[in-house]
Amino acid sequence: MPKSLLIVSRQSPWSGPGAREALDIVLAGGAFDLPIGLLFLDDGVLQLAAGQNAKALQQKDLSANLQALPMFGVEELFYCLESANARGLEKPSLDEAQPLSAEHITALIDRYDQVITL
Amino acid sequence: MSTLHVLSHSPFGDDRLNSCLRLLGSADALLLCGDAVYALQPGGAPFSALQDKKISLFVLLEDAQARAIEIPDWAKVIDYPAFVELSIDHDKVNSWL
Amino acid sequence: MKFAIVLFSAAHAPSSRRALLFAQAALAGGHEIVRLFFYQDGVYNASDALVTPQDELDLPKQWRTFIDEQKLDGVVCIAAALRRGVLNAEEAKRYQREAVSISAPWELSGLGQLHDAVQDADRLICFGGA
Repeated sequence: MPKSLLIVSRQSPWSGPGAREALDIVLAGGAFDLPIGLLFLDDGVLQLAAGQNAKALQQKDLSANLQALPMFGVEELFYCLESANARGLEKPSLDEAQPLSAEHITALIDRYDQVITL
Repeated sequence: MSTLHVLSHSPFGDDRLNSCLRLLGSADALLLCGDAVYALQPGGAPFSALQDKKISLFVLLEDAQARAIEIPDWAKVIDYPAFVELSIDHDKVNSWL
Repeated sequence: MKFAIVLFSAAHAPSSRRALLFAQAALAGGHEIVRLFFYQDGVYNASDALVTPQDELDLPKQWRTFIDEQKLDGVVCIAAALRRGVLNAEEAKRYQREAVSISAPWELSGLGQLHDAVQDADRLICFGGA
């Protein structure tokens, strides 16, 4: 039984390489068929805002990679409801991402064998 | 199941401590190191939040010493060997990078 | 216990020194380190090009000595390293760069090595941020 790993992504997509480098860990795990989960927390939920324009900053579009996650076998996708509400994020642009309250996030972290929060 | 959470950022002007406290499980522990030990500065909001929450709280000695922070009796001061043991006592370690 | 230790911050960050001290304490406590993996700014700890003032702690040197003496597996994420200008001779040649800043005992490899370490270890501990 492989160990499960939860990646908690807390950075906005435009604050530096953090969001992308978190996603790279997830994609690599998916490519190796490992049980990986991804939780968007705090400013991380901003990665799920609709209508963002990477080209305006001459950056690659992260949202395209996020949409591809299920294709990499990563379907355990979550976001913190409180973080989203605090930032006025009404509906995430990633349909597969499930909203979780704080107590459900606590239970989520408990469920996984390991966690990386970046 | 229990998790050792590790914070190393100053709680002032940073939301890691608040988010961590929101998500802390009843069996979890919290280790303050680096600038996170400033949370134990009396009179600050983080100090009250930690005091009220009554959690299993640890502080890395060298960081408290460097910053001349006094450790309240509801927190336990540890060194590196104890840090290693603490990481084993809990099922996993969640460092808030 | 088997530990996987991952470092995300540069050598000048307090968290990097903390990672080394934890790693040393883990071995002193009779535990095993399956891998040290360096990601994001952590790759700078492996750089030969860092020049530390004489009166300051030379963390890259301390990491190198620790890895050498304890015969540990010190892996640097190749993608993170390239992006930050930390190249070994092979990569420098591939990308036609003058500067070679990483050599043995450091090894450049992919995130698969991180996942491998996570699977192998009993405990995963990350250092970084500040």
